[in-house]
Amino acid sequence: MIARRELLQRLSALAAAGVVLPLLGSQPLRAADAAATPMLPVTGLSGRVVIVGGGMAGATLAKFLRLWGGSGIQVTLVEQAARYTSNILSNLVLTDTVALGTLQFEYTALRQRYGVTLLTGTAVGADPVSRRLTVDTPAGRQTIAYDRLVLAPGIDFEYPAGLESIAAREAIPHAWKAGPQTSLLRAQIRAIPAGGSFVMTIPAAPYRCPPGPYERACVVADWLKRNRPRARVIVLDANPQIMAERATFERAFGVTHAGVIQYVPNAAISAVDAGTRTVHTTQGSFRGQALNVIPTNIGPGLLRAIGVGNAARGFAAVNVLDYQSTAAAGIHVIGDASATTQPKAGHIGNQEAKVCADAMLRAFGGRAPDPAPVTNSACYSPITLKTASWLTAVYAYDPQSMTMKPVTGATGEAERDTKDHFEDMYTWFRTLMADSYG
Amino acid sequence: MRSSWVFLTALSIAASAHAQTVPPDSGRLLASNCFQCHGTNGQGSGTFERLAGESVAEIYDELVEMRQENDRGEIMTVHAFGYTDTQLRALAGYFARQPRSGGGS
Repeated sequence: MIARRELLQRLSALAAAGVVLPLLGSQPLRAADAAATPMLPVTGLSGRVVIVGGGMAGATLAKFLRLWGGSGIQVTLVEQAARYTSNILSNLVLTDTVALGTLQFEYTALRQRYGVTLLTGTAVGADPVSRRLTVDTPAGRQTIAYDRLVLAPGIDFEYPAGLESIAAREAIPHAWKAGPQTSLLRAQIRAIPAGGSFVMTIPAAPYRCPPGPYERACVVADWLKRNRPRARVIVLDANPQIMAERATFERAFGVTHAGVIQYVPNAAISAVDAGTRTVHTTQGSFRGQALNVIPTNIGPGLLRAIGVGNAARGFAAVNVLDYQSTAAAGIHVIGDASATTQPKAGHIGNQEAKVCADAMLRAFGGRAPDPAPVTNSACYSPITLKTASWLTAVYAYDPQSMTMKPVTGATGEAERDTKDHFEDMYTWFRTLMADSYG
Repeated sequence: MRSSWVFLTALSIAASAHAQTVPPDSGRLLASNCFQCHGTNGQGSGTFERLAGESVAEIYDELVEMRQENDRGEIMTVHAFGYTDTQLRALAGYFARQPRSGGGS
């Protein structure tokens, strides 16, 4: 347990590094950017890398290509949004525990500190033979030449029947990409009356952030207990069982939030009625004052457009030594858009980016990738508005299967959700975001 | 036009291959697994324990001790099982070579 004074010192040091602190309350704490620009190494390497997507994986890759590769590596980051909104901790926006604005991160450090070129626009296609990416920008269509292209576009959704229209998708928010959808769901939850119901659905795996939906059920349940007497949470899971931290969430559903959360496995959606906020599933129909449908996660259309969405559900099959697509030389896919044995989540997306950066820099120097990469996934999940749990796994390359395999003994979850873990969750978040964006 | 561009790219990659002589720092990629919680290059201010500038023995011994005690309620114990002894020494060596910048714990 960190002493309060020490914690404050640590926080102010981080604030000095220009990192936004997601503290309670509505105002993000930003301090002047006092950190010196790091000396980029002289490596003799040169190359042009274009990255599509400024989420956790794409931002980390941009930073580490420059930090490790030096100024001879030209890095262009193509992103539609002006800033990144973190999915991590966004369930706590639903309960007013953190403000959405405090989960937003600018690309300023990547530009100013590391010399990454930002291009605001939407990538629409690429020619793997001439190695050119096509981007629609506010100034018109552009093509950019690359030596290596990295796609980090995250996930897209396959909506169920009934959620075809924009209006229906706003009436029944997924809130699985943090931003306006998170605010929509927050407002719906607040409109639940005493004795009312929050109904949510969990898509079949693989989906982004395996513990995330169960965490959402927990924090909403805790908020309802405190603010809406006798209200209930109904969790409709397309999977046959809890997909992450099973011991933790079985205890949370069965003990901590007993009588509030009803867990229904094997509930596949057949249709949604946005007008009545009803979801029809293989386990029956459920209606709530708030209905949160997290649709099936699929690979974004860009993967298909470029011809690299060659794994199940349109995700990209990659060689996990360098994250190069199995379908196109010179094109890499990292983060949630790739199909690997690793979870789709921000912490491990950050590490996939480092493996990719290292391999790419070796390739620019005529070297083979590291033959034994290791990655890790770690995350803290709030179980109540005051306590959290954790989950971690380390993955090592297995030459036989050519996949990342969990290392024996290096997978585990917290024995209990505690207040200390809740504090550690904020430390983890701030540091992870600083490692990716700062 | 396209073929000449491809040729130029091939040339520039070949040229950079000859110019580049600095191999990647051994241990760096392994050590980067720690950056998410201990700060980029282990320069942890406002993070969990700062690793930059610690000795190889300090980092290695602590991780090995965690494995021996095997307290599964500690996230770092679970994590310590993810690396071989050789890998632990390599990542510890990387942090030992990092200068400590600024204040902090």
